[in-house]
Amino acid sequence: MQRSMRWLSMGLAIGLAGSLAACSESKSTGAATGTDAGGEIKVGVVLDITGAGASLGVPERQTVELLAEQVNAAGGINGRKLKLIIEDNQSTEDGAAKVTSKLLNTEKVDILLGASRTGPSLAMRPLAEKAEKPMISFAANAKIVEGSKWVFKTAQNDRVVLEKMVDDMKAKNITKVAVARDASGFGEGIPEMLTEIGKSAGITVTTVQKFAPDATDFTSQMLGLRDSNPQAVLIWGIPPAAGLAQKAYKQLALNVPVYQSHGIGNQAFLDTAGDSANGLLAPMGRMLVADQLKADDPQKAVVTKFIADFKAKYNANPSTFAGHAYDGFMIAVESLKKAGTDAVKLRDAIEATSKWPGISGVFTMTPTDHSGLTKDALMIVTVDNKAWKVAG
Amino acid sequence: MTDLLQLVFSGLAQGTIYGLVALGFVAIFAVREIVNLVQGEYAALAGLAAISAVGAGLPLLVAIVCVIPLVVGVAVLLERMTIAPVKKMTPLTSIILTLGVSTAVKAVMLLIWGPEAKGLPNFPGSDMTLGGVSIRSQELWVLGIGALVAYAVIWFYEHTVRGKSLRACAEQPIAARLVGISPRTATVVAFAVAGFTGAVAGIVGSPIYLSSWQSGLSLGLKGFVAATLGGLTSLRVAMIGGMALGVLENLVAGYLSSGYRDAVAFVVLVLVLLFRPNGLAGKTSAVRV
Repeated sequence: MQRSMRWLSMGLAIGLAGSLAACSESKSTGAATGTDAGGEIKVGVVLDITGAGASLGVPERQTVELLAEQVNAAGGINGRKLKLIIEDNQSTEDGAAKVTSKLLNTEKVDILLGASRTGPSLAMRPLAEKAEKPMISFAANAKIVEGSKWVFKTAQNDRVVLEKMVDDMKAKNITKVAVARDASGFGEGIPEMLTEIGKSAGITVTTVQKFAPDATDFTSQMLGLRDSNPQAVLIWGIPPAAGLAQKAYKQLALNVPVYQSHGIGNQAFLDTAGDSANGLLAPMGRMLVADQLKADDPQKAVVTKFIADFKAKYNANPSTFAGHAYDGFMIAVESLKKAGTDAVKLRDAIEATSKWPGISGVFTMTPTDHSGLTKDALMIVTVDNKAWKVAG
Repeated sequence: MTDLLQLVFSGLAQGTIYGLVALGFVAIFAVREIVNLVQGEYAALAGLAAISAVGAGLPLLVAIVCVIPLVVGVAVLLERMTIAPVKKMTPLTSIILTLGVSTAVKAVMLLIWGPEAKGLPNFPGSDMTLGGVSIRSQELWVLGIGALVAYAVIWFYEHTVRGKSLRACAEQPIAARLVGISPRTATVVAFAVAGFTGAVAGIVGSPIYLSSWQSGLSLGLKGFVAATLGGLTSLRVAMIGGMALGVLENLVAGYLSSGYRDAVAFVVLVLVLLFRPNGLAGKTSAVRV
């Protein structure tokens, strides 16, 4: 009797553990069955839906679901419906690799989208290259597409962001910069790149502090920044960590200007950082300041429509990450329209994307540039009272 | 010097949260020899529920007063549903069982509140700088409330008849029953205390450290490490151990590398288990373990 109770309790424990696994399992939407060539088009999407990247992955999932609905409602692509297969990588590299293999080998998707962050995207890249399937990442680090044949990405290159930032520092005669960076793939190589790009402007990095993407206390890092006597501080991370770092920065009474990366473009950042975000400087895509754009801006129409559609469905403003997902998804759709699902032709069509106005900028892909954006895609943006404003 | 003080101070605040979670581990283990891995989840649940209550328009204080009994209730309910039916409970069974429950609670929180981390608004007060050390008013709240709760729990276990009867249950279950102490009531009270300390930790910490469906995992782990410092049976050592762990983490992050912060707790755990498995106080007990 006692023995059976013990087995029962163990069984219960295992059953409960299984329930979480069930929660993180795939969610697929769209039309059912019929997988012969020429049938529905399978789009595999890998996103950071839970874990440290959740504030990125969730709006990205909403975006691809919204867009797939729109495309299917309009009759699909050349008469073929889209089938979305969305997987959660739980913000981990091994999670991304696992679900990517599943999408490529079991689901046999026609194109891969994602992941939300650099680390998981880097984990996906070799799998896409090996399977010779086109992949479009929504993450930032240039390493994702450096020398790649099959992999593209839509977030602004960190190099482009740093170039824009260095221009701004140059204009303000800032030469000594202290850096606090995300310890994961997103922050990898940033201080080195800043040193390299800033060389001509005489910019040097006084110290480099790292923080985990899920860190909650930033005292030690901010003290490190303060002690290096910088003229400006660069915090390179994503919310909530970037917001908490911004808060700690103000609390420790550092008063030099603070730059943040393009990784902070969502409401979660504004909520976490609160008033401490006032006055920060960040190179951002145009969507955050859509209402302040000039009427002749080539992106104005597409950005305004996307914001309206997103608001209508989810009753919230889309973040810049939603924008990266929009760009990735729509570039895929445009290319599928032109080339169909033949992997080689599809890849070539993506690479031939030229002067296509998206949310994050006007994209022109080339065989050597699989990211497609220059620093013109960015504006220096600041925060005033929990709202984004064009700086200056 | 200012740096050192700054690191120590913010470490103390973080450590108080660990200490409160550790108190919950001890509150239960001292009574029933159950390692309750749901402990961290109480904190996450309290933080998230309080955020929702504030979001629904309740004043902060009212939200807190509503949420704490709610979490205590959940703690007791989970005990009645999962611990009580088990006739022969060993520490190992309890670990497997509560691990499962904690996973289920996490999944439910993920479904209700979604994956994003959120924070409660700061408690009233303004931040200040004292001798170059920046002090967040919320950290003072954490320290103050933490000390108060720790004192109350220790006093309850050591100076009230009800508290003493709980410990009697652990030491002599049969004798305790003979003199009219119900092990069943004792377990319920122990889980209520654990739910209470967890809920307080989750609420006072939420404005600084945020709450999410998975924040209970690392809180639980660190609270557990702090509790092992006291051999899982000393409330005092658990509380002080939690605070020391917070300070140690901050010092390692400040003077070595912030990448090692999360490793500190595990190194401490390994060292304690290797050299002082009965806790730092060092009493060897034939009954325990």
